[in-house]
Order: sequence, then structure tokens, then C-alpha cells
Amino acid sequence: MSAHEITASLLYRIARFAVSVGLCSLFAGAATALADETCNSPYLTNLIKGQEDYAYVWTLGVPGVGDGWDKLVTIDVNPASPRYGKVLNSISVGARGEAHHMGFSDDRRFLWAGGLDDSKIYVFDIGTDPGTPRLTKTIGDLPEKTGFVGPHTFYALPGRVLVGNLSNSKDHGGITGMVLYNNRGDLIQSYPMPTSNGGDGYGYDIAINPQKNVLLTSSFAGWNNYMRNLGELVGDAEAMKHFGNTVVLWDLKTMSPKKVFSVPGSPLEIRWSLKPGDNWAVVATALTSKIWLIKQDASGEWQAKDVAVIGDPSKIPLPVDISITADGKGLWVNTFMDGKTRYFDMTNPEHPTQTYEKATGKQVNMVSQSWDGKRVYIASSLLANWDKTGESDVQFLRGFDWDGSALTQTFEVDFYKEKLGRAHHIKLGSKALKAAYADQPEQQASR
Amino acid sequence: MQINPNNRRRADAAGARAWLLPAALALLIGTGGVLAHEVSSARADFVPPEPGTYKLERIQALPDGAVVDTSNRRARLAKYTQGRITLLSLMYTSCADPSGCPMALYTLQKVRRDLEREKSTGNRVRIVSLSFDPAHDTPDVLRAYGAGETQKRSPVPWDFLTARSPQDLRPVLDGLGQDVRVPVVQTEAKNPANLTHMLKVFLIDRNGWVREIYTSSFLVPQVIVNDVQTLLLEDGVKLR
Repeated sequence: MSAHEITASLLYRIARFAVSVGLCSLFAGAATALADETCNSPYLTNLIKGQEDYAYVWTLGVPGVGDGWDKLVTIDVNPASPRYGKVLNSISVGARGEAHHMGFSDDRRFLWAGGLDDSKIYVFDIGTDPGTPRLTKTIGDLPEKTGFVGPHTFYALPGRVLVGNLSNSKDHGGITGMVLYNNRGDLIQSYPMPTSNGGDGYGYDIAINPQKNVLLTSSFAGWNNYMRNLGELVGDAEAMKHFGNTVVLWDLKTMSPKKVFSVPGSPLEIRWSLKPGDNWAVVATALTSKIWLIKQDASGEWQAKDVAVIGDPSKIPLPVDISITADGKGLWVNTFMDGKTRYFDMTNPEHPTQTYEKATGKQVNMVSQSWDGKRVYIASSLLANWDKTGESDVQFLRGFDWDGSALTQTFEVDFYKEKLGRAHHIKLGSKALKAAYADQPEQQASR
Repeated sequence: MQINPNNRRRADAAGARAWLLPAALALLIGTGGVLAHEVSSARADFVPPEPGTYKLERIQALPDGAVVDTSNRRARLAKYTQGRITLLSLMYTSCADPSGCPMALYTLQKVRRDLEREKSTGNRVRIVSLSFDPAHDTPDVLRAYGAGETQKRSPVPWDFLTARSPQDLRPVLDGLGQDVRVPVVQTEAKNPANLTHMLKVFLIDRNGWVREIYTSSFLVPQVIVNDVQTLLLEDGVKLR
């Protein structure tokens, strides 16, 4: 059975399950990514290794909820602050374009955020005043300039941001590529995802190991699928075949694909172990509910294999986001369907073992953790047309303490009550540092 | 050559000799101590691709600014970055982070030695170290700090630059995205300037385009040498 056939079969089973339980929007497929302090680009400066002050939440606008626009919401997450757990501010972008993911520039002065529907990219200044982000630039010509749509992953390179896209402007299918901008937002280059030697051309997450000169990409689905009404999608057998089934290993320096791994079931988030000397990454497959290990073998050749299941795949838990601990010994996994947050012991990455689980919401998507692993943040939304409906449509950011054996909720921001929208991607911020020369007006040197 | 401690001692000595420099300044230079054995280049567990087998993108144009050299002569930064392939390191002398400025200095010294052995490099490449701590890194301090490099006869010249003021530096720092930060709440620190920054070394082609940016994750001597040679090939130079 080919990877496409496997995926189609799984999707059919999921669709049947969705229909059987009467939830038209539970087939959540995917669409999450880079989340937290331990999962940032290795090129990122100023990692927050103490107490974070802010959680930035990229939020989907909902008609009739507040102004209805997508917005960046800043929340105070420092327990020592009198405004702990409160919304400090929000910046509406004046559009509703399926707000999805974000990523810092390498200097952590700017936060890039994308819309999967309108393909706009927003750049927020979080360096000048981390508690009060400012929208400083909007890039609106991604499709015209590159032919790609659905900017998903924003991954810092030195002085640049590599953007992983989900789709294309020609047929809105899954064939896509990556786009490289400099930190000013000027387009530098495009890199199509491989469509030969086993490549399916699909894109999703990006993860780099500089010491190995390796870049990994995963694969999800195109605009036709992720923007479609779920009920219609699951009833369309042909459309159900169009999900990614590959992880691609690239030579980072030359930006050329070197090897395509068959990873059926839409591999999503990729996390490298940050432990010095480790040579492995993991990725979770949404549709097959597995953890895959990508690791060098004894001869130095990169290999991929599935090493664990997440929950009971027959019950379609739909793993969406994962978050690796700073020491590479633990992995948080959020499963959207059952609203559970699971912890896997990764001491032996060849045999991950689940050691804990807790229902953290009726539906959960993103999971982020502090560098020391003591605090965990959970957000609720996947995609506007795929989130659960009715009483299960609860939108939040929740904070938890993790003592190594249990999660204890410490705060919650109800995004509907606050008239914000659907809480999606989380990034953490700190006010510990300020620009050294911010009070030194720039002089146009004429000497 | 034990680079960093020696350079710092030279800077100390210069500080002590310069009557106009406060004694405290010389002491401050010494407080950023990094032992030589702590400093190394970035770890690379791969064989870098051969020169000319890949493309270095034009990332951005190099911004200009007003600088001063170790003789306290004013000039435009462009004077030191155009006409030759340039490795520009943004640094400050009291940086105490082994994976920061000391690492850049160590790595660039190795790169320089490797390039000196390549005849095709001759008079086509230079190295520039530009301090972003002008209050501390005066021309005198930099002259002492960089003496080992600037006084050496080499086909790869090495200039040490600073600025008269932070205002002069801002166009360069902002233009290059070189973040320099300080703690909001100042505490006692080993680093007298207490600056936090991301190590960045810029590879600039002879037309003033930034073609690669190296940080501590990717500051690998052989990668840098191969990148320089890739630009030489682009310029029509035959590698020997």
C-alpha cells in the first residue's frame, strides 16, 4: 500500500469516526508548529532561561467576537506581577486571514506572524517594548512574488527568516515551497519542495541542526484542504488523498534536498534534541498518531522510523503540537480530539514511553514550555473551519505548573469572554533586557 | 597562539600606559577574562561543501556609518568593506562569553591563517573588527587589543575600528540587525559593559553585499574559508 493509499485509508476511517460522533469539525488534521522556548530556531538569541513575562498569542478573528479581526494578544504570565494571567493588550491587523503561526527573528526583536488564508505576513516589533508590541510591517505579496500561499512556519536564520508555506497560488493544492526573507522583509530566494525521488512537494514545519548542516521539513496539506469545510472535505475521497507523507532532509548550506523519508500520515512538528551531542529529531504524525525518530545510524546515514504510538490510533487522538524539553529527555504531545496533554519519557529516543496524561481542554492544540520545563502553556484553536463546535468550542490560553509528576493549572484567559477570538500560537517574551542604545538618537553621519 | 588573553593583556598594558585613560578602564578590560582553553570555534559534524558548488545569496546591502580607526582617524565604514571580500566582526573587547567575541577572534585568526596559505587569496580579502562599545573601546584600547593582528604582515589585512559615539554606530547596528542589549535591572556582573548580544560575523562581497552571516552556531573556519573562496570564484579568480 502506498503512502497516499495509507493516508487516504486513515482519513476515511477518521471521517467515518467524525460522522459517527456527530462532530463536523473534529477532523483536525494538523496545522500547528514551532511553539515554545525549547523549540525555537537554534539561531535565536536571548533565550529566556528564567521566568518569562509575556505570552504572545496569535489569535484568529471570529465574526461577531470583538472587532472580528486576527490579532496579536499579549498576556502577563509572570506570577510575581499584579496583572498575572491578564490580557495586557491586543493588536488587530484589520483582516481575518486565518491567523496561524509565528516565529522570532534571530535577534528576537521582531515576531513574524502569518495568515494561512490571505497569505499575509505581519511583522511585530517586540524588542522596543516587549509588553507592548507594535505592528511595523505587512508583507502582502507572497503569492505574487513566489507562487506560494499559506505562510506557516517562520524560522530564524542569521539575519533572515525562512518561511515554510503550505500551498500554491496556481491550484491551491499541497505543492509548495519555502521562501527566504531578510530581517527587513525583503525577499531573497524561494526553494520549492522536492517532487522527485519520493518527494510529494508538500510543506509544513522547518527544523535545523547547524552542527549537522541538516534542515528537516515535514508535510501537511494545501489551501484546498485546510480552508475547506471539514464536512465537505471528509466526504470528498479524492481530496482526502491530498495530505503530505514525507519528511525531507536538506543540506542546509546548499539548500538542496538530499533524502526523502516516507512518513505516512501527515508529519507535522519537528523537534531536534537540544542535548549537546545528540543527533536525532522527532516528528509526530497527525493522522497515524505516531512518533517518528529521525536519527543517524552507525554509519552516519540518516534514517527515519516510527518509535511510538500516541494514545490509541484507532480512536484518532490527532496529535497536533509537540514540545521537547531542553535536555531532550521529555516530550509534551497535545492531542486535539480528546483534549489531552501527554508526556513521553524520551530518555531512550528509540523507545519513547508515555508517563503522564491530563485532559487540559475540550480541544487542545499548541503546547509551549518554559526553558526549565516548570511551566507549560496550552492554547485551544487549530483552524477556523476545523475547530469543534457548540459547547466544545472553548477558546483559551491556560497556564500550568509542572512538578515532574502532575500539571496544575495556574491561570486561564477565556478568549471568547475577552472578545478576542480563537487562541492559536504561543510565543514567550521577557522584559529583562532592553536595547543598549535605544536612548541614543541615530545620527545620519556626514563626517 | 593564545589569542584572547594575550590581546586582553595587551589592551591592559595600553590602558596602563595611556595616562589619559582612567585606571579603572584598564581594570575593567581585565575583568572580562576568558581562558584560552575555553575558546574554540563552532563544532561542525559535517564536511563543508566545496567552494563554488553552492550559491551565497545577496542577503542585504551593508549599511554605512562613521567609524574611527586605531589612530583615531575618522572614516566611513565603506572604506573598509568595499573593493575586497570582507569578513566583518561586530564585537567588544571586554566580552567575556566564550561563545561570543572571543570565539569570533579565535575563529577569524584561524580563517586568516588558512587564507594566507591560499595564493589566490592575495590582496583580495580583509578582516575588520568593529566594536559596538565605543565608550569603552577607544582607539587606544583597540590598538592594544588588536596589535597582534594589525602588526602582522599578511595578504589578509585586519583592521580594528570603533566609533566616536553610539549615535554613529546606530545606522550600522540597526541596519545589520546587530542587537545589543543591556539588563533593565543592572546587577553586578563580570562584564563591565554588561552588554548582551548575538555573535555575528558578516561575509561581504567586494560590492558591499552581505552574502553570509555567521553566528556561534555556524562559525566554522572551513565553512568560512570555503565561502570566501566561493566569492573569489564568483569574481573570476582561479583557486590554486
